[in-house]
Amino acid sequence: MKTFKLGGIHPAPSKITAGMPIEPLPLPRRAVLPLAQHIGAPAAPCVSVGDHVGRGQLIATAAGAVSAPLHASISGTVKAIGEVDGPAGYPMAAIIIEASEADHEADTVARDRRLAAEPQVVAADRTPDGIRDRVASAGIVGMGGATFPTVVKMGGKTPPEVLIINACECEPYLTCDDALCREYAPQIIAGVGLMLTACRGRRAVIALEDNKPEAAAALRAALGAESRIEVVQLKTKYPQGGEKQLVEAVTGRRIPSGCLPADVGAAVQNVATAYAVYAAVECGMPLIERVVTVTGSVAGRGNFLVALGTPLAELLRGLPDDCEVVLGGPMMGRAAINLDAPVTKGTSGVLVMPPAPAPEVEPCVRCGSCVDACPMGLEPYLLSTYGRMRMWDEAAAARVADCIECGCCSYSCISSRPLLDYIRVAKSALRRRK
Amino acid sequence: MLTFSPSPHIHRRRRVRGAMLHVCVALAPALITALWYFGLPALQVTLVSVAACVAAEWLLARYVLGRRDALPSTSAALTGLLLALNLPSSLPWWTVVAGAVFAIGIAKMAFGGLGCNIFNPALAGRVFLLISFPALMTTWPVAGGGFAAAADGATGATLLEQLKYGVTDCLSRSDMLLGHMGGSMGETGAVAILLGLVYLLAVRVITWHTPVAIIATVAVFDLLIGAPVADNLLGGGLLLGAVFMATDYVTSPMTGRGMLVYGVFIGAVTVVIRQWGAYPEGMSFAILLGNAVTPLIDMWLRPRRFAPARKEVAA
Amino acid sequence: MPAIITTIIILGVTGVVGAVLLYFVSRRFRVDEDPRVESIAALMPGANCGGCGLKGCRDFACACVAAGRLDGLYCPVGGDAVMKTIAGILGTDAAASEQRIAVVRCAGSCSARPRMYIYQGPRSCAVEAAAGAGTTGCAYGCLGCGDCTDVCQFGAIVIDPATGLPAVDPARCTACGKCVGACPRGLIELRGRGRRDRRVWVACSSRARGAVARKACSAACIGCGKCARTCPFGAITVTDNLARIDASLCRACGKCIGVCPTGAVKATFTMPKPVVNENV
Repeated sequence: MKTFKLGGIHPAPSKITAGMPIEPLPLPRRAVLPLAQHIGAPAAPCVSVGDHVGRGQLIATAAGAVSAPLHASISGTVKAIGEVDGPAGYPMAAIIIEASEADHEADTVARDRRLAAEPQVVAADRTPDGIRDRVASAGIVGMGGATFPTVVKMGGKTPPEVLIINACECEPYLTCDDALCREYAPQIIAGVGLMLTACRGRRAVIALEDNKPEAAAALRAALGAESRIEVVQLKTKYPQGGEKQLVEAVTGRRIPSGCLPADVGAAVQNVATAYAVYAAVECGMPLIERVVTVTGSVAGRGNFLVALGTPLAELLRGLPDDCEVVLGGPMMGRAAINLDAPVTKGTSGVLVMPPAPAPEVEPCVRCGSCVDACPMGLEPYLLSTYGRMRMWDEAAAARVADCIECGCCSYSCISSRPLLDYIRVAKSALRRRK
Repeated sequence: MLTFSPSPHIHRRRRVRGAMLHVCVALAPALITALWYFGLPALQVTLVSVAACVAAEWLLARYVLGRRDALPSTSAALTGLLLALNLPSSLPWWTVVAGAVFAIGIAKMAFGGLGCNIFNPALAGRVFLLISFPALMTTWPVAGGGFAAAADGATGATLLEQLKYGVTDCLSRSDMLLGHMGGSMGETGAVAILLGLVYLLAVRVITWHTPVAIIATVAVFDLLIGAPVADNLLGGGLLLGAVFMATDYVTSPMTGRGMLVYGVFIGAVTVVIRQWGAYPEGMSFAILLGNAVTPLIDMWLRPRRFAPARKEVAA
Repeated sequence: MPAIITTIIILGVTGVVGAVLLYFVSRRFRVDEDPRVESIAALMPGANCGGCGLKGCRDFACACVAAGRLDGLYCPVGGDAVMKTIAGILGTDAAASEQRIAVVRCAGSCSARPRMYIYQGPRSCAVEAAAGAGTTGCAYGCLGCGDCTDVCQFGAIVIDPATGLPAVDPARCTACGKCVGACPRGLIELRGRGRRDRRVWVACSSRARGAVARKACSAACIGCGKCARTCPFGAITVTDNLARIDASLCRACGKCIGVCPTGAVKATFTMPKPVVNENV
């Protein structure tokens, strides 16, 4: 079974919500929709305070080539357009919508009806250009967490030799992609087919880790007559879902430093993105909800279908007083301190960790664990020292820019040294200097 | 109250202390073998060495470096244990203390403490004693058996000395494997050391690179120059050094390739010293020389990068 | 021949051969250096702090000699005195520059800003800032981990244990600017020392709306603009809910200090209390 070669770790999978069905979470009364839910220029609002908007209505347009539009995730009145605190406590620009009782009821009824019934297929333009237009106007971005506008990745001049659909979900705890594959396999296959058409590709590979046999079986069963798509299982190892690692695992080719998958003839899209493409093209649904895993030491665990803009606090039922809330997985997820901050397009999971006291940092004993674990073949102990000593030139020469911030080094350090933290400091200092 | 911390939010369970305790467990067979053949004096040397190392580190950290929060450390205890296994069981207690103080004070703390030392402290202590007290350090009690101390004054040459000086009444292979011969406490029982190696590999505290490179180099080099391979491998401190001393994290290279180069270097130097040098045993010196070139090896043999940088691709 | 004589001869010959070799090698590989570099380098403070923007004091001396003029070259540590001497060596003029000092634009001490979250991670402002907005409700203020004190080579900036904020020692600060670059929040500014060390500045960097800023920190600038209206010299402007005092216009009269409702305007001097005659 294939996997990537260099480094990697095997953290405890802790997939406690695996096998839980996708449950729709009640729609929020108040939705906070940040304008920058994607990489690139923030969307430009096209509604004003006081306007009444409907669920799915366009409220902000893409501002530039690398940008994505934004849609109302609930019906209601635009209460404010301005700064709110983001999950980490830093301010961000957002549109706030508040639903009246009538709005809320109508939305809920409409959503329940849609979920209960077979999806209504609308007449759609299924030419490559038509699909791309639809994907762009639906505001679809990479839903694995990187949130790069999907249409930009589909618009390359040369079609990719292979379109890789990332369903690895290599982060511990997270199960949202797994749940999506198990429940919506036919829709995902259709979405992948649409993406292939849009980028004029011939072949697609849906890559999963071998710890999700049910999802793989469901996808294989849904393939049917679709001969362009293949489902491949990879040997479980973190960070399999990293773009460079995944391309290597599937194709055997390594993306050179500073290059993109397209440079080795590959394109990578997340499996949840494939589902969103299906929903956008076939059902006319813009990206206004996503599947979020709520897991860890919290009572209401599960995989939930959540409207974007829902405050995190509404997902976290039975939250202990002292804990750490992490957006994303435990390896790369970022801590959230403001629970009024919303679920966004890139929120794959909300993980609650118990407040374990930080282990004591000991001196580096040069054991080499970090070097062995680094999937990019770097020397984290050295890069981290450069970062701590503010030796930016040396860090650049030791290729700190190649670091994918997967966290394998900090995870594997037996001295509990904050390796990745100082590597990040060096990376951002070098970025600023450019 | 909510907590926030930088990612990753989960960590591997193993800590430095755990890795060191694994090494202590791996040393148990060798220690039991030493006690079995050399009796109570071996126990005395071990206890004195461990106590002296721990005390030296704690006192230096507390009173010389002024670290109020200094605690007796596992790493110093391990150094003491390794030092003891590198000494003859007949060594007087004050010599052991001197070796321990040198190992901790000069080889470790003077360089900055754990993680900063260039040379393996236990080996530095042993070599210090070997040069300062050559007679004491090369007088080996003849191994008894069944936890019985060797008879007073009954001392003998090690296998390597016999080889070097042309004595031909060699020991039987089974004695050599089990450790029934003269030598430093920990180095005589090949089977016990290999058990330790298997344990260390099983719990992934060390990798195979260094020990295999050293042992293979010595074997191949001996074959080429026509020296007795088995005697060189089993007699003397080669196995103890290859498994426990050369694999010390702090003083060995970080990458697998580096460890191979390091192992080949140590193996070659050992054979050269044993064959053409003044000493019958060369493992300690070879490892210390290997420690000295480790920074160079780490500089030359960087880990294999995931992929070349873009400008290298263009060039 | 006795062994000692052989030894002496061999050692003597080796020594002579070595000396001759060294002589020729030193002649062959001699590097000619402008003697002015040496004399300038000797004048330099020798802290190699990088405050001039170059790699060290010697680098600065080389740059001075290479340029022949002192345009754009200034040693903030040595100050005008050193620059004048260097100008003398080079036979040029040194532009007098105003003496500057680092000021911290945050007054959110432990008592002013209640702690709302717990940070677990390395004690580094850069790392903490990347992980989240900090342990208080203010996303602009001092994190208190002391990145500024770590980079200061002069021991001029230390975290005051009472307030948890960095305090600048005016006697030691050389305005090298290291701390300015080290602060991830950009709280530290180099300001003119002012006449007779009298200077006034706004000790807050929060661009949050007044109510938000005030809720997070009782010493925050709320952008009310009272100081700007009071200032007789037009030195104060309020942008993005934050007042700024232009050091070049400020005369350090101190009128703004009294009107600030939160005490965010700080000065190096105390205003005399208004005299109230209680007998009348």
